[in-house]
Formats: sequence, C-alpha cells, structure tokens
Amino acid sequence: MAEESQKLETVNLSKKRRLGRKKGNKTKKKLKGFDGSGERIKIDRRMKKLFRKRARDYNSDNDEDEGDDGGYAVATKGENAVPIRKEVALDGKDSSEEEEDHQDIDEENEISEDEEGEIQPGITKLTEGCRAFRLAFKKIIKKNVSDVSLGPVLSGHKKLVAEKLAEEEAEQKVKGDVKKEKHLLEEKGHVKPANFLDSHEKFLIGVATKGVVKLFNAVNKAQNAQKGLNASRFKDEKAIIKRRKEAFFSELGRTTLSSAGAPAKAHTSSGPVDGEGPAWAPLRDSYMLTSSKLKDWDKMPDSVAEDEIERIPLDSSDDD
Amino acid sequence: MARFRNNKKKGFVKPVVKKQPGVDHVTGEKIPHSIVFSRGKIPSSLKQLQMDLRKLMLPFTAVNLKEKRRNNLKDFLNVAGPLGVTHFLILSKTETAPYLKVARTPQGPTLTFKIHEYSLAVDVAQSQLRPRCPQDLFKNSPLIVLSGFGSGEQHLKLTTVMFQNIFPAIDVNTVKLSSCQRIVLLNYNKDTKFIDFRHYSIRLQPVGVSKRVRKFVQNHQVPDLKNLQDVSDFITKAGYGSESEVDDEAATVTLTSDLGRINKASSKSAVKLQEIGPRMTLQLIKIEEGLCSGGVIFNAYGNEAEKKKEVKEEEDKINEEDADEDADED
Repeated sequence: MAEESQKLETVNLSKKRRLGRKKGNKTKKKLKGFDGSGERIKIDRRMKKLFRKRARDYNSDNDEDEGDDGGYAVATKGENAVPIRKEVALDGKDSSEEEEDHQDIDEENEISEDEEGEIQPGITKLTEGCRAFRLAFKKIIKKNVSDVSLGPVLSGHKKLVAEKLAEEEAEQKVKGDVKKEKHLLEEKGHVKPANFLDSHEKFLIGVATKGVVKLFNAVNKAQNAQKGLNASRFKDEKAIIKRRKEAFFSELGRTTLSSAGAPAKAHTSSGPVDGEGPAWAPLRDSYMLTSSKLKDWDKMPDSVAEDEIERIPLDSSDDD
Repeated sequence: MARFRNNKKKGFVKPVVKKQPGVDHVTGEKIPHSIVFSRGKIPSSLKQLQMDLRKLMLPFTAVNLKEKRRNNLKDFLNVAGPLGVTHFLILSKTETAPYLKVARTPQGPTLTFKIHEYSLAVDVAQSQLRPRCPQDLFKNSPLIVLSGFGSGEQHLKLTTVMFQNIFPAIDVNTVKLSSCQRIVLLNYNKDTKFIDFRHYSIRLQPVGVSKRVRKFVQNHQVPDLKNLQDVSDFITKAGYGSESEVDDEAATVTLTSDLGRINKASSKSAVKLQEIGPRMTLQLIKIEEGLCSGGVIFNAYGNEAEKKKEVKEEEDKINEEDADEDADED
C-alpha cells in the first residue's frame, strides 16, 4: 500500500508539474475542467461522466480514492500511461510471484526517473512492459508441450475442446438428420421421370394419340362438308346448317346401329345400354333417374353418340 | 378532438359494368375459367407443381395469382363470382401425401385426389433429349382425353364430367386445327384405381418424306452437303429410317387445311406427342357435394353407412347359406 500511495503522489506531482508548465499559476480545482484543453477537444457533460465512471471502474480494484480525485476525468497522455503500467505490473504478479521484487525495483526506478521529470512516462512504460512480457513469454516457452493434434496453444483445454468438438459434431448430425427428414417429407411423392419411355408411358402416349387422331378425323369430316362455303354469307349459311343437320342425324343412326352391333363400343359409352332402348340417353325412360345424385346433370354430355374417350360436343343439336 | 371527415374527398368509384366474363364472344358459349391455388403451407416443389398446373390451365386461368396466408376459401369464392371462375384447383399437403382438390364453384361438387406421384414440367423436360416448347403452345386451351372411365360407376362418371367441363368445349365445325397444340390425358387404371394425369404437346409431321427434306423445309437452313457427291444425293440417299415410322399408320390424319409451313392440306400427316409435364398419379379419395363441404357422395375408403350395409349383407348371405345348408341337410 505504501508503494501505491507513493505512486499516487508521483502521478499527482507529474500532473501538477505539467499543468503548471502549461497554465501558469491557476488553481488545481479550476484546471480540472480544462484538463484536456491542450488538445481543444470539447467534452460535454455526459461524456465526461462516462469517462469518469470508466476510470473509476478501472481503478476500483486497487485504489478507490483515486476516482474522487478527478484526475482521471479526462484521459491525458500522462494519466493514461499510469493505469496501463499498473496492469502490466499486475500481470507480472499473476504470472510469477518472484518477479514482484523486480517489479518493485523497476517501479521505484521509474518513479525516480519520473520525479526527475526529464524522461517521458510513455517510454518508461514501454521498457517496463517489455520486461514483464519477456518474463511471461519465457515462462510459456519453457513449458514443454507434447505434440497433440489440437496444437500447443489449446493444450490446456485439450479435453474440453475435444469434448466440445464431439458435441458439436453430434449436434450437427442431429440437425442434418432432422433437415433430411424434413426434406424427405417435403419431397414425398416427387419423382424424377426416367430418361426413356417405359411401356406404361408408351401406352399412355398411344391412348392420347388415338384421341387426337379421332378428333382430327372428326374435324376433317365436319369441315370437309362445309368446304367451299363461306359462313358469313347468308345463302351459304343455310346450306351449312342443312348439311350439319344431315350429318348429325346420320351420326345418330350410325351409333344406334353400332351400339347394338358392337358390344365392345357399348361399354365405353356411359350407362348400361339396353339392346331395345334408344341409343341417345335423353330418349331413354331411365334418363336422369339413375344419376339423380349428380349435381351437374345439365353439364352431362347430351348425346351418347359422342364417344366417351373423347370430347367432341356435337353442337349441331344446338343449331336446330 | 375527433376530426370530421371531409365528405367531399370521396375517391372516384368506378361504376360496375355488368359483363358476362365467362362467355366466348364468338360462339356465345360459356367458357370455364379456373384458378389454381394452395391451402396451407406447401413445400417448394409443390409450389412449382402449382405453377405448372396454372400453365396447363392456360389461357383461362390466373397465372400470377398471389395468395396470402390469411386468404380463406371464402375470399376465393367471393372473387370467383365476378370474375366468372368456374373451377378451383386446390393443392394441399399433409404428412402422408399431397392432395389435389378439383371443385366447381360456387356449389360444388368437390373431388379430392391423393397425389401418389408427381413430376414437374422441369423434371420432364430434363429427362428429354430435346424438350419442345413452341411460342404459342400455351395460347390455346388443351384438348382433354379421358380413357378408361366408362365402367359405369357413378363417381367415375362425375369425374369425367368434371374434367370435361374444366376446359372449353370444342366445336368440330369451326375449330382450327392449329389451335390444338396440347392435350391432357387422364387414364383410369381399373386394377390399381389410379388415374394417370399426363400433358402432351401435339406435333404434326408430313408422312412419306425423308427426314432430311422435312428438316430442310422446316428449318430453312442451308444443309450440309460436304459428304455428298451430287446434289441429288440429298434427296435420293435416304437416311436410316426410324422404326417409329412403321407403326405410325394408326397415328396419321388427313388435314382439311394447311397447318404451318410443312403440313399441307389433303396430305397425310403423322401425329406426334411429346410430354411437357406435369405428370401426376392421382387416386380419387372422396367426392363432396358442396364446395369442400357438404355430404360425402363417394369415399374411397368406404362410407360408414356403406360399411354397415356391407357387413349386414354379408351376414345375410351367411345366414342364407346356413339356411340353404340346413335345407340340404333336411
């Protein structure tokens, strides 16, 4: 404690001296505010408070009464040097007890130098810090460390680090599993198609092709009938309607025959087709009675003549 | 103090013009419109499927429909009326599988399909050597081909009707073949009860012309003649014929009018289909009377009432058999 008080004295002394040099014979109390005025920095009250608090915190462990002094309110160069030096000294104490004596001697030397006032405090600090650092470093170097994969620096926490790494890995694994599971769930049902056409796909394409061919042929047939006639001309329009009507009735007759003749086709058409009943559904007695539950009865295809496989509404019935 | 609202500052309200949006201006027929959206949170692949379905439903659908999480079915229904939307395609996902609901607005019915497998249009295009996508592919609505649905069962019939009405009807007398670019195929498999959903593009090729000549006419590019002795070789020297041309007999059509540059009228053309996706394997799970509500008309897992009935019938049968046996014994 004696040493510290001495130090404090030196600090105050040095400050006093410097301030004295700068500002002549003004009192210390007044100077407090102007402490940093050498650099022309404006310090507002809040900042000042903050600085003061910081300084107090900093010094709280070794000297409490210094905070009240207010010397640390604004960090000037000279004051800055002191805490740093102290820190280094503390470090030195931590690393080795034997060095304490050295330290004390050093400090005393420094103080004496300080008191002489010729040597800047920053330089002394550097040399002193160097020494402490050297000692600490030497001690570290002296330790011989066995070669481990984790490296010499982490050697102290070798076990801990290994444990932590393992834990992390496990965690990662669990996370990955969860993610994978989630992804699998998301992609459920998603299938990438094969590069080649398998038999099923070929069959489907065949079915679709059949449908397209049927439609195109029907279109061909229907549009061949009205070839050369212009629909916008009144005379032609009449002719077109007439032809359509004929085509429609012929279609009706044909399906009646075909449904009776070919049972294979009858099964594609909707509903059980009786041999004696008319082929066109609305003409049958049971029309709409069987499908009373269907809501969209008005959307039902109005003719059975139209093949189930394909959708070609014969709108000739609408034209009439 | 509360401020009084300035009554004069009312914004201009556009007068509502009564228009029937779902009507074709040429034929006066009703055109079905549809919107595709999703309920609940769906993963990105299903979002892609949703986009693919929207593309498939073009041109009478909302491609850039933005739905929010807080949108409920009622919101869509409210919009559907004025916009003339007749069909909803709703995608959803549970832990077991994704689902597709096809519903008619505003009253239903609603068909619920379980999507067992699906492939996106991107996947399909990736699987192909030369994916094909002409510019005007999506300008016209697709044809629909339903096959295998004619077994006379009620729910299948309803499915048929539903899907037939999802796309505008084709008038055989006036339709232009050039507008038939795509086809949607629904194939019902009786054994597995799965419905295969496929989407193809239609291409017509002249028959009886060598590939070289066809390509030349098609591409309008200077052919590579460096390996030929004479110009005539280009036509006479036939390349190896593809085996697919043999069984093309069934897939040829005669055209009434010219189609593009290479398909001339009254010449034979072969119909070629190429898949554009998406591809789905569906299973009809349930049919509801209303729009996602109402009585259940059909349930793949069996109705409670039906189950009871079946059990009863079986019991009756057993009882009858027993009675018969008893009679025989006597």
